[in-house]
Amino acid sequence: MQKELNKEQIISILQKYSPTKDNILKCLHELQDAHPQNYISKVILEETAKHFKLTKGQIFGIVSYYSMFSLKPRGRYLVRLCKSPVCNMLGAKSVTEYFDSKFNLKPGETTTDGMFTLELAECLGRCGKGPSMMINREVVTELDSKKIDEIINTKK
Amino acid sequence: MSKIIEIQIDSKVVKAAEGSNLLQVARDNGFDIPGLCYHKKLTPTGACRLCVVKIDNTPGLIMSCTVPVKEGMKITAFDEELEQNRRHTLSYLLAEHNEEFDDSYEDEIRPLIKRYNLEKPENRPLKPIWQGIPRVVDNTSPVLTYDSSKCIRCFRCIKACDEIQGKGVLSFADRGISKYIVAGFGEWFNSECDGCGECIQLCPTGAIVEKPFRESLKISEIDSKVITTCPYCGVGCQTEIFVKNDTIVRVDGVDDVSPNDGRLCVKGRFGYQYANSKKRLTHPMIKRNGVFEKVSWDEALDFVSSKFSEIKQKYGSKSLAGYSSAKCSNEENYIFQKFIRIAFGNNNVDYCTRLCHASTVTAMLKSFGDGAGSNSIEDFETTDCLLVTGNNIIDTHPITATYVKRGKAAGQKIIVIDPKWTPLVKYADVWLQPKLATDVALLNGLINIIIENGWIDKNFIENRVEGGMQAFESLKELASKYTPEKTEEITGVSKEKLYEAAKIYATAKTAMIATGMGMSQQTVGTNNVFSLINMCLITGQIGKELCGLNPPRGQNNVQGATDVGASPVNYPGYIPVTNEDNRKKVAEIWKVPFESLDPKPGLTTIEIMNAAYDGEIKAMYIMGENPVVTDPDRHHTVEAIKKLDFLVVQDIFETETTEFADVILPAASLYEKDGTVVNSDRRVLRLRKAISAPGEARQDWQICVDIAERMGFKIGSYNSPEDIFAELAKAAPIFGGITFARIEKHGIQWPCYDENHPGTSTLFLEKFNTESGKAKIFPVDYKEQSETPNTNYPLVMNSGRLLYQYHSATMSRKSKVLNAYANEAYIIINPEDAVKLGLKDGDKVKVTSPRGSLETTAKVSDEVLKGETFMPWHFNEAPVNALTRNEIDPMSKIGPFKYSVVRVERV
Ligand code: SF4
Ligand code: SF4
Ligand code: FES
Ligand code: FES
Repeated sequence: MQKELNKEQIISILQKYSPTKDNILKCLHELQDAHPQNYISKVILEETAKHFKLTKGQIFGIVSYYSMFSLKPRGRYLVRLCKSPVCNMLGAKSVTEYFDSKFNLKPGETTTDGMFTLELAECLGRCGKGPSMMINREVVTELDSKKIDEIINTKK
Repeated sequence: MSKIIEIQIDSKVVKAAEGSNLLQVARDNGFDIPGLCYHKKLTPTGACRLCVVKIDNTPGLIMSCTVPVKEGMKITAFDEELEQNRRHTLSYLLAEHNEEFDDSYEDEIRPLIKRYNLEKPENRPLKPIWQGIPRVVDNTSPVLTYDSSKCIRCFRCIKACDEIQGKGVLSFADRGISKYIVAGFGEWFNSECDGCGECIQLCPTGAIVEKPFRESLKISEIDSKVITTCPYCGVGCQTEIFVKNDTIVRVDGVDDVSPNDGRLCVKGRFGYQYANSKKRLTHPMIKRNGVFEKVSWDEALDFVSSKFSEIKQKYGSKSLAGYSSAKCSNEENYIFQKFIRIAFGNNNVDYCTRLCHASTVTAMLKSFGDGAGSNSIEDFETTDCLLVTGNNIIDTHPITATYVKRGKAAGQKIIVIDPKWTPLVKYADVWLQPKLATDVALLNGLINIIIENGWIDKNFIENRVEGGMQAFESLKELASKYTPEKTEEITGVSKEKLYEAAKIYATAKTAMIATGMGMSQQTVGTNNVFSLINMCLITGQIGKELCGLNPPRGQNNVQGATDVGASPVNYPGYIPVTNEDNRKKVAEIWKVPFESLDPKPGLTTIEIMNAAYDGEIKAMYIMGENPVVTDPDRHHTVEAIKKLDFLVVQDIFETETTEFADVILPAASLYEKDGTVVNSDRRVLRLRKAISAPGEARQDWQICVDIAERMGFKIGSYNSPEDIFAELAKAAPIFGGITFARIEKHGIQWPCYDENHPGTSTLFLEKFNTESGKAKIFPVDYKEQSETPNTNYPLVMNSGRLLYQYHSATMSRKSKVLNAYANEAYIIINPEDAVKLGLKDGDKVKVTSPRGSLETTAKVSDEVLKGETFMPWHFNEAPVNALTRNEIDPMSKIGPFKYSVVRVERV
């Protein structure tokens, strides 16, 4: 499996965006999603800075400001589990525990096959149907072990 | 000028320019309102909230740094509530702030802590929390250290780098309370930072501190601070030198004076180490049986003067020559040329200007009657269009470039003409990349487009050009051959780009040109500049404010040395040697018989070397120059020097040239002398002695005077450089109104004819300096180079400079800081050529030209066109001038450093 997004691939994505300020975030999102390790690599930073005529520091500043960007490699799928009060009351904690026992995956870590990274997130706006999580862009609610297994299996 | 209005601060009536910054107005009038994020050179930020005031009829507390003043405003600057508020804000700041202090910088917080009685922890309403915030320390830069625990997130460094230096290297990383300053991806050294230190100078808290002398320097124990001119490039930045124990320990920029208003580049701020180097020459030395022996000054001076006299006796006065120096003051160059003209009795005095802008000066003198830059450095910011050709301005004139970058941010159009990529390309609207040595064709092509599209300024041509429209017609006819198609064919630049550039330049309301070595250092150097001038004249982009032609000068005093007469053809003030009236006048000032002054022009640098080679010049006196490295065709130069019967070199270090000397005389460096220099915008600026010269090293002018005296010539008795300048001002009318007293704080731009003359910021506003008062068009055709790539030497080599090194690197390479940035030679090769040659980045290569060869490292990059290469020439171990030709431009006698055919092979 490809582990890096190479320079040519990065440039071909960048070329889709005219180098104006309002495109930077959209473009970074696409680049991060396209990266097999789901993060903003150094090469992405370098090429994006060049494309938008920014200095390295300026692009680093933007990326490090937004929590949705990662500067460290992550799994192909990013699981963001809600840790806010409502979900917590509805059993988010046991979901966390389930990830640990079943997949050996603790918050902040990535599975050894590089497929999944688990993170804890603030309220996802689906409090009524908690516990909730996002797996990449997809929102999954009313989590229990069965549902989690199902989803993980479809992604594998 | 904006309107002057009245406002009231704490009931005191205060006058101010409408719209000016309230905090600044208050401070200027003695209201010491606290504030840490505001700096008068930056746009206001409103981050620290310390500068709050009350404004009548406006609710709440207002940050005064964000308020432009309006007529009738009533301000409360101090009352109980405001002071309470400030005290509270400050303690907030302190809670997040690490207060360790080492006295190696000026801390703006400490006085405030005292003022608000927050020294004792128990007086503080808030407990410290800074220990709990992630601490980021970046120590990778050779010049500075950043520590987030001391950072108050005031934005000053970010804006210093962005707004003042136009670099934008810095940014905040992360968010909230753990926000910190980042350069690059977290490592300063691997960012775009070039070490100018502007952010250090503006940081209020010691979060960014200077590295050199960090351990030992105590700001409160400095012995003296001396204001003088930077010894490096021709921008002429004003610096403040901090001295401790006769050693330079820090250099800062001086605010509020031209040309730099506090800004410096890395050389000016950190390149001072050479002055205190252990390698300085400290004693006169005479070579005996091949070894240099220390001797007394008496012995050295006797020996030198008797040898000069003996050779003059034996071979006649034409057998002697001297090189003066762009690294010496006006006074010293003046004395040196006086020495040559009186003691040697000829006009064989020249210096390295011959190697840089002689062609530019030749063309400008012929067309305009003046060889100096027509505008002020500040104009680089405010002109509408700037055309930069053959000039890597960001690296070679970094502070002039800050004005350009600020101009760009405000909408200036920038055209770059350069066969090699330079950092300015990032800021350019158009970049024309012609093949090497095709500039005349390119410019004629632009002229063609300008004429075809009717973008000429008829009025200007009729009124200010000699021959008016008739002269124009002859240019038009010549240019008609250079159709866009033809021009594209010769230069490789597309028609579309040519059109775009021509349009931007010709139709801009105001346009200036900066021309550099890329244009001048060619066998067709003078013609290149004639073509530029022609374009300038037909579009009327000269003779008005913010319009004109400027050759930024490379060394601290290149401009001044020519101005004061270190020239084989001109007396001080550009008066030709051949002008009898002037010789009479000068003979009187110098108190010598008029007949003793040689009426014939002398030899230029390269001609002097050639004459030495041919055995006509027998003895040379070289002051502060290193021709072995700087002259073209090194092999020839060395052979020539070896043939001399007698060579005296006066310098601050041993150089590649001193090796061949018979006598070496130790001189003082620019940090060790009083006097003046002239920078690129003709500004006469003071040099002031900051430290003493090492050992027995002496002032250059005193050495000259002594040698002359022992040769039996009295060339003057002076007590100080000020005396010399007074004499110079008499001999050269352009300096007539300048005195040391007048330039105590601010320099004056020549011409300045009398004491009431304010100096001249723009040349040629009313007339040109030619006899007719009009400028002249000289149509010139493109000529192919006599040397072209062939199977043996398939590539062309270009050469140039780097930001971090200077000239033959005798000074700059003594600096650890500068070397940390760039200390290795290389040759840039286009990727396609590299593939053909089987070369990779970093490979060791041998570069050979018909003259010689050298070894260096390949750098593969598309900064150069296919078929072309580039080498920096500072490094003696890869001496570029072993490869260059000694063929010269027939008009200016400049050497073609920018064009040599070569072959590159892997070793
Ligand atoms: S040293 Fe100069 S270039 Fe470097 S970050 Fe500071 S201001 Fe910018
Ligand atoms: S720009 Fe030139 S004069 Fe100014 S600090 Fe740098 S080297 Fe010195
Ligand atoms: S609390 Fe979990 S989605 Fe809102
Ligand atoms: S000085 Fe005004 S907010 Fe900092």
